[in-house]
Amino acid sequence: MSAATKQAQTLARHLFNLSLAEGTVSAERVQGVLAYVEKTAPANAVLVLKAYHRLVAIELARRVALVEHAGSVEASVLKSIAAAMTQHYGRTITAASKANPGLIAGLRVRVGDDVYEASIAGRLQALANAS
Amino acid sequence: MIVELLPLAEAAGQSAGGVTQILNEFGIDGPILLAQAINFSIVVFVLWRFAFKPVAATLQQRQKQIETGLKDAADIKAKLAATHQETLQILQKAHAEAAQVVDNARRAAKEFSEREQKAATDRANEIIVKAQQAIELERKKMMQETRGEIARLVVATTQKVLAKELSDFERSRFNEAAAKELTNV
Repeated sequence: MSAATKQAQTLARHLFNLSLAEGTVSAERVQGVLAYVEKTAPANAVLVLKAYHRLVAIELARRVALVEHAGSVEASVLKSIAAAMTQHYGRTITAASKANPGLIAGLRVRVGDDVYEASIAGRLQALANAS
Repeated sequence: MIVELLPLAEAAGQSAGGVTQILNEFGIDGPILLAQAINFSIVVFVLWRFAFKPVAATLQQRQKQIETGLKDAADIKAKLAATHQETLQILQKAHAEAAQVVDNARRAAKEFSEREQKAATDRANEIIVKAQQAIELERKKMMQETRGEIARLVVATTQKVLAKELSDFERSRFNEAAAKELTNV
């Protein structure tokens, strides 16, 4: 890793910490950070913004439970999943739904790098891998 | 011979004068006969001294040489016999040693043959065991691949069937059950 990249990542981490309000990413603070970067134009601004974007995306993903589903899912189901994940991780997690007919039936929930599978496709795949 | 006859003639002359007469008739003169006897004695002495004695010495020497030669021959014969005996013993010993060498060689060859045969048998058994292990591994691998392939086919078929056959109601029921499962993590 070059010195410029390392310096850009350090600055991006500082900017990311400035973007948090009460432990969550605040849209207003992100706007302020971006305005600061645009105004001051630090060295290696592109590298800084890429690293900053990656950190914000990771943080947002940690706070969103992406619920993939085949067939319809009621809002109450999404709420119950969000509540369960919030309780499990100890931080506020919102649920977002995404249709995935490949699941055949059932749900797949992604929180950050964690994946929870409760679908027919997942069980069939597990069966195929076990044999 | 004549000298030996003289006493007889004299004895005969004394007894009878016929002897003198006989001598005269044969032309025999006494002094001449005596001189001849002396000459004969001298000749005999000279011959004995200078001819017979050296010849006898020579003969004796030859006799000794012959005896020595005979003795040497006997010794040589004895030595030859001893040498022959020794040669026979050496030959017998060499024969025995040769037989021993042949026996050792046969024994060594037999041991070598048995050792090689055992090694070949061991190698063959090892090859057979390895082949059996390879066959078993191959069989297991084939069975596993077949099982996996069958499972994939079953899963693929099941996926297709379920994707076609499941109704929206059934999907919703399954989604609710999945949600309950996920909320219990």
